[in-house]
Amino acid sequence: MTIAPTIQTAERSVHGVRPQMPRPRDVLREHLHAIGYALRVPMLIAVALGVLATIILAIQIGSGDLDYNFLTQPSVLPGVIGALLPVAMWLREERFGPGFLWTLPVDRRRHALLKTLAGWLWLMGGVTLFVLSLLVLALVSGGGVLPVQTMTTLTDALRLSGPVNPAALQTVQWTPGALIWAVPFGSATALYLLASAIVLGIRYLLRWAIVLVFLLPIATGATHLISRLSGNEWLADMPARALVQLVEGRFGLEALLTLRTWSLDNRATLTTGERIHVWSSIPDLADWRTAALLWTVAGLLALWAAASRHREERRA
Amino acid sequence: MTHPDSDVGEFAVATHGLSKRYGRKLALDEVELRVPEGSVYVLVGVNGAGKSTLFKTLMNLERPDTGAAEVFGLDTGGSGPEVRAQIGYVPERQEAPYRYMSCARLLRHAAAFYPAWDHAYADHLARALGVPPEQRVGGLSKGETRRLQLVMALAHRPALLLFDEPMDGLDPLVRRRALALLAEHLADAPTTVVISTHHVQELESLADHVGVLRGGRLVAQMSRDDLQRTVRTYELEAPEGWEVPKDLHATALRRSSTGRDMRCTLVGEERDITGRLLAAGARVRGSSTLALEDAALAFLPEEPS
Amino acid sequence: MLVTLDPRDERPLYLQIVDQVRRALLVGTLRAEDPLPSVRELAGELVINPRTVSQAYGELEKEGVIYVRRGQGTFVSPTIHPDRQERRAIVRGVAERALLEARRNGLGVEELVTMIEEVAAEDRGAA
Repeated sequence: MTIAPTIQTAERSVHGVRPQMPRPRDVLREHLHAIGYALRVPMLIAVALGVLATIILAIQIGSGDLDYNFLTQPSVLPGVIGALLPVAMWLREERFGPGFLWTLPVDRRRHALLKTLAGWLWLMGGVTLFVLSLLVLALVSGGGVLPVQTMTTLTDALRLSGPVNPAALQTVQWTPGALIWAVPFGSATALYLLASAIVLGIRYLLRWAIVLVFLLPIATGATHLISRLSGNEWLADMPARALVQLVEGRFGLEALLTLRTWSLDNRATLTTGERIHVWSSIPDLADWRTAALLWTVAGLLALWAAASRHREERRA
Repeated sequence: MTHPDSDVGEFAVATHGLSKRYGRKLALDEVELRVPEGSVYVLVGVNGAGKSTLFKTLMNLERPDTGAAEVFGLDTGGSGPEVRAQIGYVPERQEAPYRYMSCARLLRHAAAFYPAWDHAYADHLARALGVPPEQRVGGLSKGETRRLQLVMALAHRPALLLFDEPMDGLDPLVRRRALALLAEHLADAPTTVVISTHHVQELESLADHVGVLRGGRLVAQMSRDDLQRTVRTYELEAPEGWEVPKDLHATALRRSSTGRDMRCTLVGEERDITGRLLAAGARVRGSSTLALEDAALAFLPEEPS
Repeated sequence: MLVTLDPRDERPLYLQIVDQVRRALLVGTLRAEDPLPSVRELAGELVINPRTVSQAYGELEKEGVIYVRRGQGTFVSPTIHPDRQERRAIVRGVAERALLEARRNGLGVEELVTMIEEVAAEDRGAA
């Protein structure tokens, strides 16, 4: 039997006593744990699949069945994972309304950002594993850590429309440099930030997706109408062109994810009837750096705006 | 807006002209809540009277349209995190977060946010309330979820407990155990409690302050002793056809078949009421106090039967 | 000592506890230097506000019925003798309750006293 204080004479006032607050470091650590716990099954499956794929590819490369050019044609995988992770992290959370996360004693905007940071650390861990597997493959293939690729390009890029004269072809050695190793990290980060901003900042995701789907034809119709009335041809398919720029442009999403190795790599038919890969131009890492910078800054700004939707409700 | 609250230091919770509107519905209407430090404050009201909105405002989960709220002298709008650090909150909704976590994992998760979390105490509470530690949160019944929420609210021994209909979904045996744990909790550490309920009866022996919310307005707020002194049932003898004066706002009015015997609940100082009834032509045969629940009901309009 | 509360009793809860301690002393279930349950125990057992228990104990302490030994708990005073005064306090409580009940039934004091004597006489006759 315990004997508690029997008679309470004066109760200590809590006024003016500084409440004990959790340290941001501890909050971050707990979110790291919690994300790992929440996503442990998909993570384990992904790691297992990754290891298996690396082993199979290494065997194939070793036996000479496969040409190795992963590094110069970056995989979209890190970017895709970066875009999906926020969805997995936040859709189980009551993002809007009086959810549990928001009842905790942490400034709400800071809390959203801390959880996002925890997810990003996991993402970087995953990308590191991915890059390590690439490294294994690079070493197995006998190539160096810094890749070199031989590419076929045209002397005159404008002539890709018809059958190509083999005389117009030239062979170029492309050595992208060490920055190529940053591509998976950079593309994953930028897409992670953007996706985090979207799931954190938009309450009715489906509604917005539907609006966007209808927005393009409506905008196209509107610009067509305006161009017909004003006689400005250039305006007619501006929405479509803007979208193409956003995806395939010099600093577009594709540049961010693949160094434009998808859109630059074309199939061409030679006048001899042979079909070959022809590069309309060599991928540019400096362009990638700019694209990554632009998309990351855009992602950070969007994330700040999204997190600010959850800030403490201060009175106006 | 300034308020001449010189005695604000005595209140754990004080709101000043707190109003909140959802569309056309006024959820809170100029609420002046005063919860003395160390008290067990029972907030009575039917569903939709504004209790949950009031709690959410105190947690800074809702922003009031006008007015302000203070918890231990801290403005809830300006110091949300500091305010929440001192509150153990059981929301009205019986839905625990993170259905994929086990109960034990969720408790550890919550612990990370409260430096004062007492792991041994959390274990004790979980055992006493029968929270299965290895069970997944998503697989809990409503009652079990409620018990888990109670453990989370108590385990860091906050200075203020905000319980929104805490006993909903609990079976009678667990209710009693939960209330006994609360009584022990209050004996261990100085704690202020605000409990909303529409079953005052089960909190009868714990309550020492009572507030009545009706349609977003705090229509009564007083100590339990004041409530029981001023809300009384009067037994009257009156001529046939006699009516209780309108300005006395009689509730729970009953009269015998002959119309000579009457019984009704009236609010006011006994001597004053007796005098006014006498002046109006009725004789007071006696008066008695009411159970807390019935006394609180005197401030709520009679429900159509 | 077992404390039980009567929800129909109109008096404040703390007075009920005070009365029960007094009664236990009178009956002899509680004696000098006996320990009383702690505030925490009694509050948990009866599911009442610990302040109510504190208030009751405070009242008893003021009257010198119990005393607090720092860090050990609350005990019955060594000098306690359930004397005439204690008895009077209890009888008074019983009388007050009976009177209240009588008044509510529209009875006068004298009617009540007469009837108590009558019933008591019958009881004696039956025994």
